[in-house]
Amino acid sequence: MNLLAPKATEHANQLAAHGLRLRYGDRLIVDGLDLALPGGAVTALVGPNACGKSTLLRGLARLLDPAAGTVTLDGADLNRMPARALARRLGLLPQQPVTPEAITVEALVRLGRYPHQRLLSPWSAADQAAVEAALDRTGTAELRDQPVDQLSGGQRQRAWIALTLAQDTELLLLDEPTTFLDLRHQLDVLDLVARLHRELGRTVVMVLHDLGQAARYADHLVVLHAGQLAAAGPPAEVLDAALVERVFEVPCRVIPDPETGTPLVIPRARVHS
Amino acid sequence: MNVSPARLARRRHTLLLCLLALAALLVLTAVALSTGEVSIPPLTALRALVGLGDGGDVLVVQQFRAPRVLAALVAGAGLAVSGALLQRLFRNPLASPDVVGVTGGASFGAVLLLSLGASQLLVPLAALGGGLVSAGLLGAFAWRSRAAVGRLVLVGLAVQAGLAAAVNLMIVRFPAELAATALQWTTGSLYGRTWTEVWVGGGAIAGALTAVLLADRRVAVLDLGDDSAGGLGLRPDRDRLRLLLLAITLASLAAALTGPVGFVALAVPHLVRFLAGPPTPATLALCALLGAVLLLAADLTVLHLLPVPGLPVGVMTATLGAPWLLVLMIRQDRVMNRSTR
Repeated sequence: MNLLAPKATEHANQLAAHGLRLRYGDRLIVDGLDLALPGGAVTALVGPNACGKSTLLRGLARLLDPAAGTVTLDGADLNRMPARALARRLGLLPQQPVTPEAITVEALVRLGRYPHQRLLSPWSAADQAAVEAALDRTGTAELRDQPVDQLSGGQRQRAWIALTLAQDTELLLLDEPTTFLDLRHQLDVLDLVARLHRELGRTVVMVLHDLGQAARYADHLVVLHAGQLAAAGPPAEVLDAALVERVFEVPCRVIPDPETGTPLVIPRARVHS
Repeated sequence: MNVSPARLARRRHTLLLCLLALAALLVLTAVALSTGEVSIPPLTALRALVGLGDGGDVLVVQQFRAPRVLAALVAGAGLAVSGALLQRLFRNPLASPDVVGVTGGASFGAVLLLSLGASQLLVPLAALGGGLVSAGLLGAFAWRSRAAVGRLVLVGLAVQAGLAAAVNLMIVRFPAELAATALQWTTGSLYGRTWTEVWVGGGAIAGALTAVLLADRRVAVLDLGDDSAGGLGLRPDRDRLRLLLLAITLASLAAALTGPVGFVALAVPHLVRFLAGPPTPATLALCALLGAVLLLAADLTVLHLLPVPGLPVGVMTATLGAPWLLVLMIRQDRVMNRSTR
């Protein structure tokens, strides 16, 4: 029984930005962005620090109201959708979520059911089934009674991903899901994301730092530079030395990844004087 | 539905604590109804409560003791739950109605009314109004900063300090007799509650408590931080402000019944956390019960155990509260290990 799977084809799940401007106070972070993210695909948002990729992700999740322009989901304006209805279609893992003191893994994951519950509705069998499926998927079932704040970084990240899975949305937005994890746990998280896409048909949009990982795991790459779109498309087509040099200001070679054939960025050795 | 054994065990534990608190509540109520200037045996007192038995007993129990006991119970429950909600919303273990200006507002409203020479019957209404007005002030200031937690605490403390200064100024300028009344009121007191006050105030507090219980899921989602809460379908700023107003209303209603009683709202949530672990709807119920027990116990202490007659109950709770607060500050590093945004 695969409880989290069947709705994959219900919607196209295409997020798009139209003339989108996002600002924090007076600071303009994203300036007039036009962008369409393919539904049913894994998209990686990359770019140098402070280029606005996390801000863009928050805008796409409606955590930040646009200063101008719109964000649409399958053509419907995000800002006109009821918050709960949106939360049943789009789940989000923030960069630094707040773990309530002493909360257990299961209690945390149960909160993912919030958008599906009504004011007086009791906890339903469907709710429990979604929680169990999310715990199984992320390999956190045996941790269910442990306090989240006492887990290792990798376990904690999987518990948080379980929460967004229990939310049972066709779209998942992940803000730097691999930051602060060692290499093995980074790959664990990315493999989990790849399985969610492949086996459950989830549309994933994630912010990543490592260009090689982005090229390996994403079908679609969006490169941001100073709040503007620098390039977008399949990694093999857009990721080249000229782009990396222009956006990251790092001279480099781009070679095929010996394992996967996807582009791999090798910075040129710096000459020390 | 399968519930894991650990969850079940904790739920049973909390339920047991609730039953214990309820038992303590019943015993204290019986004691409170039967003791006083005229001693009445507990069973006779309970019969008198429903209008049976000796006419004199009925008068004493129904008209003098029962309103006072009920006022203590509902106000205690209201204060404790208000404190628990405030501490979660502010993500700060030191949050209490004092910090958001309710205490100052209620005192200010009451003392202002007394200074205008109005009837003492209107004092509870003035206290309620004062509490809500200061909460409104807080809301107006804080809304501009999108209800950022740190800003709310600062504005709340400023409002509180300003109002406390105004109250002191008025009391100093009062004639001695009025000053005594005002002082007693501003430290919290259960003297002279009438049935009308208890029914109206108690009903409103019961309504607000229900609202808090119904909002528990929302509060739990807000605990995950603004971004996660937003991703789960809340509007964090708006929802937090609404819950904040609910907590403030609750504290203002309690203050209208008893005056601004200290300690209960601050301490009971910590006590509950210590006894029953992280918050759930069941711990909220435990909070309400323990708040009622504590305020009634403090009231009984000032009535019967202390050598000084006529002390306001607020003096008792504050005497206990100050050392508790100090202990809390010393342990703060350990308690405050939740990140704040």
